[in-house]
Formats: sequence, structure tokens, C-alpha cells
Amino acid sequence: MTSFIDYLIGGVSNGAVIALMAIALVLIWRATRVVNFAQVGQAMFTTFVALTVQTVTGSWVLALAVAMVAGAILGVIVQFLVLRPMRRADTSGAIIATFGVLIALQAAVGMIWGGDAQAYPQPFDNAGIVAFGRIWPISVYDLVVIGVTILLVVALSLLFTRTSIGLAMRASAFNPEVARLSGVRVSRVLTFGWALAGVVGAVAGVLVAPSSTVSPTTFDILLVFAFTAAVIGGLDSLVGAVALGVFAGLVISLVSGLSNSGNAPVVALILLALSLITKPDGVFGHHKARAV
Amino acid sequence: MLSITDLTVSYGPVEALNGVTISVPRGEITAVIGANGAGKSTLMRTLAGLVTPTAGQATLDGEVITRKSPEDIVRMGVALVPEGRSTIPELTVEENLRLGGLWRAKSDRRAAQAEVFDLFPVLAERQRMRADTLSGGERQQLAIGRALMSNPKCLLLDEPSLGLAPLIVTQILHLVRRLADETRIAVLLVEQNAVTALRMADTGVVLNLGRIVQTGPASEIASDEKLRHAYLGY
Repeated sequence: MTSFIDYLIGGVSNGAVIALMAIALVLIWRATRVVNFAQVGQAMFTTFVALTVQTVTGSWVLALAVAMVAGAILGVIVQFLVLRPMRRADTSGAIIATFGVLIALQAAVGMIWGGDAQAYPQPFDNAGIVAFGRIWPISVYDLVVIGVTILLVVALSLLFTRTSIGLAMRASAFNPEVARLSGVRVSRVLTFGWALAGVVGAVAGVLVAPSSTVSPTTFDILLVFAFTAAVIGGLDSLVGAVALGVFAGLVISLVSGLSNSGNAPVVALILLALSLITKPDGVFGHHKARAV
Repeated sequence: MLSITDLTVSYGPVEALNGVTISVPRGEITAVIGANGAGKSTLMRTLAGLVTPTAGQATLDGEVITRKSPEDIVRMGVALVPEGRSTIPELTVEENLRLGGLWRAKSDRRAAQAEVFDLFPVLAERQRMRADTLSGGERQQLAIGRALMSNPKCLLLDEPSLGLAPLIVTQILHLVRRLADETRIAVLLVEQNAVTALRMADTGVVLNLGRIVQTGPASEIASDEKLRHAYLGY
């Protein structure tokens, strides 16, 4: 029983990172009906940028900040690459194009930083916290990861509910034509959305990096989990992305702990299939048929 | 004043509008009536910038509005309420209204919202509720309110009566009449429901297969029996 609870506690920070990546996918899906498979490639690229900054300056905070800025810029570049030429085409064309961007980013990282896995320095204490006479399966670093995630989720929800750009983003996602007729410059709002998703993905990348290594393909598995969480959550729901992201982290931790970590992606895909069969709109998804 | 001159719109080989010329003076309601497929919605969507005309132009107080983006046309003072209750159901009443004036200064937006609440008191009562909880008539008021948030000089109303009970339609058109009288806004109204539209309008324009067949005082058009039989089907 103790180990069961330990696995759950240990899964929270992993879940937080998955939740962030799922949020990035949801942000872009809601606005443009494109699943951006390049998102993990972008996160991987910005994590290498962060690694360089951290190696040079030794500052984790500065590395995170630079990665966030790079994430925003890269998000805008990817939007221009993927969406502009595909403007009038079906969005499935753009989705395939995001795969192309992912492969291109992986190749670019290999050329710039090399294809080998590199260790990302541990910025905080990674040992289990000792308290109440035992060692807990959670470290100071895990708490930082969870804290940064909560901060970002709160900031995003305030952005969406309290600000003009947030209202413009929601309106552009729900009904772009009415938004344009209201004077909202929808294409600029969409570009802002891609930048924002890039920032969120960049944070996820930097946060997850110390617990594995970084190489051009390290984050591919994160895509599987984040995509699963986003789809089960309903793809257009930020609440769903967070809830299912954390849930996915717990499941992965349990499966890895009780059997072995190679089984986690299989379990994720089984859950994805079951969810698509029983609840195609997702747990938190809006109903397809909207009243007009 | 909104002046439409020789406006022509083609969808491929199909001409949806052919040399349409209409003047919409301030403080007046101009009703464009005609059967399904007459080009009424195309006219509205072209004026709002959603469709690009192949020839001709439209000006608002001398400034050309055609071939501009919808975002710029709203800023120039022309606001469209599209067909079919153009509110966003997932947003609250207040958010739908705020959306309409998002590009304006906060103080202007506040003033505009107060005017909308004055015209449509029911929206003030329901401002915190989601738009999809409103009745059809209330949602149409919200759609018009959203357009008014941009403080337009010209309001384009596309089939406001669609799917509404006759009594509600009359109420809403009375409010539009009041709006035109009080704020000197120019209203271009497109309607399939000719009787109600002509009763409220100053000028009537009969559109058939993309061409104007008749323009004149609304009362004259309403009483022209031949016209009614030929184009309006009653």
C-alpha cells in the first residue's frame, strides 16, 4: 500500500509536465483545428537552447526565460511554415505538415548540438525529501516543477478570462467570422496563440529535461502521453488537458512502478483507444453540435 | 450615408449581384426585399468585407469601404449583424458585447455598453449569463447590441426575423426604428419577410436574381400589387 501511494506521489510532477505539453496542443487545436505534432520538436529545440544558456551562464532561471522567448519565436515561425501555405487547404494537410516540421527540427538539433543524448544539469536537489521519519518519493525539484506548472495554469486562466486578448482568443476559436465582424484581427490573435503554445511547450521541455537526458528524439514519448491526455480531455478543453495530463502522469508512474516503464506508452494508447470508443468528444469536451 | 454603386459580385461563372446601386441615408431604414437566392445575403457580406466584389464600390460618407478587410470596415463605421443570431453561445452576454467594442478605448466601450443596455434592458438583466441560455429574441437583441458596440454610422441587418415569432420580430424592428430615429444611424435591412420589413422602413428595394427591379418609398412598394405577386410571392 505504501508503495502504491509512493508511486502516485511520484507521478505528480511527471503529470504536471504532460499537462503543460497537453495545454500547448489544446491551445493550437482550439484556435486552428490543427494538432501540432511539431510541439515536442519545438520544446526539444528550445530545451537545447536552454542547455546552452545554462552551460554558459550557470543560471537555470535565465535558461528557462531564454527558452520561453525562443519558444514564442519558434511557435510563430512554425505557424508561418505550416499554416500560411496551407491556408485554403484542409487542416489535415497542415497536420501532416507539422510532422514534417518535427522531423526538420530533429534534424536541425542533430546538426547544431549533435545526435547524442546529453545530460541536463540538475538545478535543484533531486533527492527525496526527508520528513516525518521517512524519505518521500518527491524532491525539491519536483515541487519546483509542480509550482511552476500551477503558476502557468493560473496565469493562463487569468489571461483567458480577464484580459482583452484572452476574450479575443476565445471568440476567434469559437467563431472566427463573428470575431472578425466585431473588429478582432483574428490572424494576429492566432499568431499570438501559436507563440503562447510555444512558450508553454518550452517550459514543459526545460522542466522535464533534468529527469531524463536531452537528444533530438527524447521528447517523442512525451508527445504520446500529452496527445493522449489532450484527446481524452476533449482537445478543446484546457481544464481537460490539465486534469488528464496529471492523471496520465499518475498512471505512468503506477504502471512503471508496478510492472516496468516500457509498458507505460502501451497503457496510454489503450486508454486513448477506449476513450475514443466510449467518449469520442472527450471527458471535458464541448459537444460538437452547437446551438446557433 | 452609405452609397452602393454598381456593385457586382460573381461566384465563379454565377453572378450573385449585378450592378446594384442603393443609397442608405442616415436616420433612415432601407429595406432590401426579395426571395431566397435574390442576392440579399451576398450584398450584406460584400459590404462587410467577407466577400470581394468583382466590380463597383460602396462608400460611407465618401470613404470607400469595399475591398477592405472586415476588421477595418467595422472601424470605419459599418457593422453587420449576420444572418442567424450571430452571438457566440459559449461566451456570456457581457463578453459578447465587450467583443463588439474590443478594439475601442475602455471608456468608449463603457459608454457604448450603457447605450445598448438602455436600448435592450433585458441584456442588462442577463449580462452574466451565457448567450446560449437566452431566448431567440434576446439573442437577436444581443447580436444587434454587439454590432452597436462599435458605434457604427451604418448598421447592416441580415434577416433579423429568421426563426422568430412575429410578435418578437415586430418588437425588434420597433427598436431598430427607434435607433434610426434617435441616433441618426443608417440602417440597411435585408428581409425575406417583406410585409413587416416594409412597414418599418422608409425606402424599399426589390432585389431579384441579383438585380434591382424596383426602388421607392416603402409604402408604395408594399401597395404595388404586381410587384408583390411577381417577386415577393404573396
